[in-house]
Amino acid sequence: MLRRTERREYAVMLAPYVLGLAALIAFPAVITFGLALTEYDLIRSPEFIGLDNFRELWEDEIFWTAMRNSLMFILFAVPLRLLGALILSLLLWKRFRGVAAYRTSGYLPTVVPDVAYALLWLWIFNPLYGPLNLALEAIGGPTPSWLTDPRAAQWAVIIMSLFTIGEGFIVAMATRQGVPGELYELGDIEGARPTYMFWRLTLPLMAPTLLLLMFRDTIFSFQANFVPALIVTEGGPAPYATTYLPLFIYRNGFEYLRYGYAAAATLTMFLITAVIIYVQYLIVKRWRRAFVV
Amino acid sequence: MAGLRFAGVRKDYGSVRALRGLDLDVEPDELMVLVGPSGSGKSSALRLAAGLEDVTEGSIHIGGRDVTDVPPADRNVSMVFQSYALFPHLTVAENIGFGLRARRVPRGETRAKVESAAKTVGCGEFLERRPHELSGGERQRVALARALVREPDVFLLDEPLSNLDAQLRVYMRAELKELHQRVGGTMVYVTHDQVEALTLGDRVAVLRDGELQQLGLPDEIYRRPANRFVARFVGSPAMNLFRGRFEDGVLRAGPFVFSPAPEERRLGRREIEVGVRPEHVRVTRSRGERAHVQVLEVAGSETFLHLVADGESLIARVPSHRRPEAGDTVRVSADLAHAYFFDATTGEGLG
Repeated sequence: MLRRTERREYAVMLAPYVLGLAALIAFPAVITFGLALTEYDLIRSPEFIGLDNFRELWEDEIFWTAMRNSLMFILFAVPLRLLGALILSLLLWKRFRGVAAYRTSGYLPTVVPDVAYALLWLWIFNPLYGPLNLALEAIGGPTPSWLTDPRAAQWAVIIMSLFTIGEGFIVAMATRQGVPGELYELGDIEGARPTYMFWRLTLPLMAPTLLLLMFRDTIFSFQANFVPALIVTEGGPAPYATTYLPLFIYRNGFEYLRYGYAAAATLTMFLITAVIIYVQYLIVKRWRRAFVV
Repeated sequence: MAGLRFAGVRKDYGSVRALRGLDLDVEPDELMVLVGPSGSGKSSALRLAAGLEDVTEGSIHIGGRDVTDVPPADRNVSMVFQSYALFPHLTVAENIGFGLRARRVPRGETRAKVESAAKTVGCGEFLERRPHELSGGERQRVALARALVREPDVFLLDEPLSNLDAQLRVYMRAELKELHQRVGGTMVYVTHDQVEALTLGDRVAVLRDGELQQLGLPDEIYRRPANRFVARFVGSPAMNLFRGRFEDGVLRAGPFVFSPAPEERRLGRREIEVGVRPEHVRVTRSRGERAHVQVLEVAGSETFLHLVADGESLIARVPSHRRPEAGDTVRVSADLAHAYFFDATTGEGLG
C-alpha cells in the first residue's frame, strides 16, 4: 500500500502525461465518436443524423477506393519495411570501422521532417530531371512516369516509405545484439552453416521483436502515407490512385467541411486497424509457442 | 580415441599475450584439467583447440592430424560452455540433436542417438521441455548430452560447473568423473577452481600468465609444487610462506625453527622462502613459537586459525573439537618433512 504522500507524488508526476492524454487524445476521440453521428460544417451547429454518415460511406465509391488503396499500401509497405529493417540490422549490428556512419545514414531519413522529405521525393521522382529516372535510364531500365501513371504512383508512395525505417532498424539491431555469441560459436563447432543458423537460430530468436514491429508498423503505415499523398501525388493520378484513408478524411473534413462524415470515416479506419491487428494477433498466437523464450 | 597436442602455441590479442608457447600433450581417453586464475590463458587454449580463435604461432594436433588451419566444424570436437549455450527456443531433444541435424543426419537416426545420449547423462525424462523450464543442473546435463551425441574425438569443457550452486557443483563433479570413466573420451576441462582440478583430473596443467607452470598428477601438483605460484594456488587456505634464514645451525622461517637445518648445500647459498601448508602447522600449548589467535573460521569439522606470531601472520587448520578461542596464545611448529623450499627471487621449487 502506498503512503498518502507517495501517492500524491506519483499523481503529480503523472499529471502532465495524463492531462495531455485527456486533452489531446481522449477528448478528441470522444468528440469524434459524437461527431460521427452528426452533420457538421463548422458554420451551423451539429445536427444529429444517426448512422446516416456510415450508410453514405458504405455507398461512397471514393471511400472504398481509399480503403483499397490503404490496404494495398499496408500489404506491400509493412513487409518490405520490416525486411529492410531486418537487413539493415543484420548488416550493422556488429562493431566495425565506420559502423556509426552507416547506422546514422540508416536512421537519418526517419528524422527528416515529413514535408521536407516529401518535397525531396517530388524531385527524385521527377520524370525528366529526377535522379531516379536518370539513373534508371543510364542502366537501361524502365523509366516510369512516377507521378502520372496510377500504378507507378502507388509504388512511389511505397518506395518513399521504405527509407523511414530507422526505428524498426534500431530495435531489430538491439535484439540481434542481445543474442549470445556463444550460440553461434556452438553452431560453428557443430557444423551448422550460416544459412542454417539464420533460419534455425537468428530468425526465431528475433521473431518476437519482429512481430511486435509488425503490429506497430501496421498501425503506423495506415496513417503514415498522408503527407506523401498530399504533397507528392496529391491523391492522384486521377481519379484517386493514391487517395488513402487519411487523405480521404482530410479532404472531407477540411476541404469539403463535412466534419461529421470525416469523423465517421475516421472511426471506420480505427475499427479496420483494430480488426487487422486482431487478425495478426490470432495468427501469431498460433505460432507463439515456437517463439516464446 | 584421439589425443590433443598443443605444440608451441602462442596467442596474442592485439598487444596482450594470452599464451606464450604452450606445449601440452593430452593423451587419448585422458581427462586433462587446465587450471589457473583468470587471465592465465586456460580458456584461450580451449578456444584455440576448438578453432574458435586462430593461433598466432605454433600448431594444434588432434589424433596426430594438424588441425591448426581446420575450421571448427571439421575438427570433430564438441564444447560445453559455462553458460551452457542452449538454444532457448528449441526443446531439449532439438538442442541435443542440433549438431546432427545441422549435418543432415536423418531424423530417425538423430532421434535414436539423442535418446541414447540423454539416457547416458540422465536427462531422458525431459526431452520435450525447453531450457527455461529446467534447473541449472538439468541444463548442464543437456549441454553434456549435446557434447556426447556426436561422439567427437575431443570434448572441450569451459568451466561447465561454475554456474551451479556449491552443493550441486560437488555432485555434478563426481557425476562428470563417473561419466568419463564410463564413456571414456579425451576431455580437456578448464576451471579456475583448484579443488575441482585436483579431484577431477587424470592430470592437471597449472597455467599462469599464458605459461604452463606445472603438469602432473593431482597428487604431484599438491605434494611437489614446481614453484611458489603453484604452491600458493593449490590448497585452501593457501600455503604460508616465510623468508628463511640460516642461523647457528638451524633454519628459521617466520615462527618456525627447523633444527637441525636442512643441508645448506642442497638449497645453495641463496635467499630462500619456506612454505608450510595450514594443515601442517602444528598447534599445541607447549611446543614451538608463541602465536596469537586473531580470528577463527569454524567450517564444520575443521577450523582455520588466523594467527600472528613474531609480527608475521599465518593460517593453521585444526580439528574443530580441539580449537583454541580467539585471543588465546598458542604455540606453533612444523616438521621439516612438510616444509617446501623456494628460491626467493625466481620462486622456483627447491627439492
